[in-house]
Amino acid sequence: MLHVKDLNVSIGETPILNGLTLDVGPGEVHAIMGPNGSGKSTFAHALAGRDGYKIEGTATLDEADLLDMEPEARAAAGLFIGFQYPVEIPGVNNMYFLRTALNSVRRVRGDTEIGARDFLAVAQEAMDLVEMKPDFLNRAVNAGFSGGEKKRNEILQMAVMEPRLAVLDETDSGLDIDALRIVASGVNALRGPERSMIVITHYQRLLEYIRPDFVHVLVDGRIVESGDHKLALHLEDHGYADFVNHDLNDAPERSLSGAAR
Amino acid sequence: MTTTSTTDFPDAVNAPAYPTKRDEAWRYAPHRELARLSFGPANVLTGRLPDKIDAQIPVLEGPRIVIVNGVVDHTRTDLTNLPPGLQLAGLADARRDQPDMFAAHVDTGISSADDAFAQHNHAFAQDGAIVHVAAGHHVDVAIHIVDVTLADDTPNASCSRVMIRVDDGASATVIETRIGAGGFGGSNTQTTVTLGDEASLNHITLQDVPPTQVHLSHIDVTQHARSLFRGHLFNLGGSYGRVAYNVHLAGKEASTDLSGLYFGTGDQTLDQQITIIHGAADCTSRQTFRGVLDDTSTGVFNGGIDVRPGADGTDAEQANDNLLLSDRSEANTQPRLEILADDVMCKHGATVGQLDDDTIYYLRTRGIPHAEARRLLVHGFAHQIVDGIHNQILRDWIGERLGDLHG
Repeated sequence: MLHVKDLNVSIGETPILNGLTLDVGPGEVHAIMGPNGSGKSTFAHALAGRDGYKIEGTATLDEADLLDMEPEARAAAGLFIGFQYPVEIPGVNNMYFLRTALNSVRRVRGDTEIGARDFLAVAQEAMDLVEMKPDFLNRAVNAGFSGGEKKRNEILQMAVMEPRLAVLDETDSGLDIDALRIVASGVNALRGPERSMIVITHYQRLLEYIRPDFVHVLVDGRIVESGDHKLALHLEDHGYADFVNHDLNDAPERSLSGAAR
Repeated sequence: MTTTSTTDFPDAVNAPAYPTKRDEAWRYAPHRELARLSFGPANVLTGRLPDKIDAQIPVLEGPRIVIVNGVVDHTRTDLTNLPPGLQLAGLADARRDQPDMFAAHVDTGISSADDAFAQHNHAFAQDGAIVHVAAGHHVDVAIHIVDVTLADDTPNASCSRVMIRVDDGASATVIETRIGAGGFGGSNTQTTVTLGDEASLNHITLQDVPPTQVHLSHIDVTQHARSLFRGHLFNLGGSYGRVAYNVHLAGKEASTDLSGLYFGTGDQTLDQQITIIHGAADCTSRQTFRGVLDDTSTGVFNGGIDVRPGADGTDAEQANDNLLLSDRSEANTQPRLEILADDVMCKHGATVGQLDDDTIYYLRTRGIPHAEARRLLVHGFAHQIVDGIHNQILRDWIGERLGDLHG
């Protein structure tokens, strides 16, 4: 599925990711946790193809070389990014946007495009997943949406696009507990043996709803610790202090003993 | 009166005052090209109209008058099945066949004919259209007036006039399409609208002459009490496409709502010159104009609100937003407000911006290719103006012209 090896990303002269290596197998859900500024979002957008990064290393999705592709080609290859700050697009109808997105990737994949009427059924199913009212589709994309609605719209897009790999960047930020529950249940419904996910989060809270198979701790642009969901619990209790500004060679033992409690 | 030898027209008597770059309203006009045009009597077309002209005309239900190089083309004009209350005729035909009707229409309304080109129109426009809706009648079908300019080897500019009168309590929709073919040339049209008490007119202008031509248009509107004018402009064609609205709110509680989209590509200059005169109490006016400017095109919005003494209770708003698609395109926006009354609400705002990189990136991460993402955003920007048009055939025509994927 996804293989990231020795990924170095800098913005200007500032290194953000320093040799990040990560393998994600089919159907797996990985959580990436880390303090502010550790490079979590940069990782997501380096995979997605945002401009302005200097990148070294490799990242392949189903053998396709992601780093060599335009952002739209990465989407067609099966990558989906849930944005921490979804963009408002006044004047562009949500339904039209969703259908254009879906048909764009279908065209590249050689699938037939879906007409307006058939798409309504596709959209309806996705809307039920995130408990959206029908008028949601007739509004402009994210324009005037509440924080929760924007995040639900991200999950709605994910449901419509049916990606191979979804990277959800701080999907829990700014959500109240009800919205968090809706978003998480949408994500859980989309889990499957052929779909992998990377859930990027600052807090352990989201992982109470989305149980990851693996948890990774990202500090200073590299993964310093990996474990199962218990690692997240350890972080909840102890914060990232164990991993920051101290000899990283000591970190695994200490954190694992913490996680094993 | 004589003119001195220092003018451009030393031999002319009553030489019209040709505008120059020093005139604010003509600052962005291509004066050299305008000087090359000869604004004379219409060049009557002798040959066949190219087939492709017909394909450019939106096919609407209802009557239509087609004017080619300033003369009504009867083979393309359809005046059958006119609904009750509607008089519709070619201007020259009316002068010959219905002199009373003709007399009733000429010299009605005000004119903004204070520049040389408007005077040319008055002097040389021999033909055009007369639209008259009798009091209390609601004409449901759209009345379509098509002005075609076929430039031949002479740099001729055709003149035509459209006179629209909607009497008390009546309503109608008039669509004016301006198109053409051929090389360098121009058209110079004058529309005069008079709305009686509580009359209403939906007036749509599709300006899409070829990029080889210059288009000059005056639309003068006089509104009586509680009348409603809705003007929709799509200013798309011409090397220089100029549309000037001069709206006089002469009766109390009259309301005017102007909206427009100008979409420039290549080296086009698209120029909107608007003056709304609040001449009576409690009138409302809206100006909502959006410009999309690509390549090296220039957009001009010069919008005036003129609140006369006694026009208390005026409610006027103006908004002009521009989207620059190229770093060599240009938007010029200027509000002109003159307020000489009390209890006046006047708002204006203007913006000039570019497509947002973050938004394009967001769309691309959803699989939407770069070019399509740009189109989608441009469409979104234009949406507010296109949405004012309810006729699906016109929406499709505009959408197609804008390269819009909605179809």
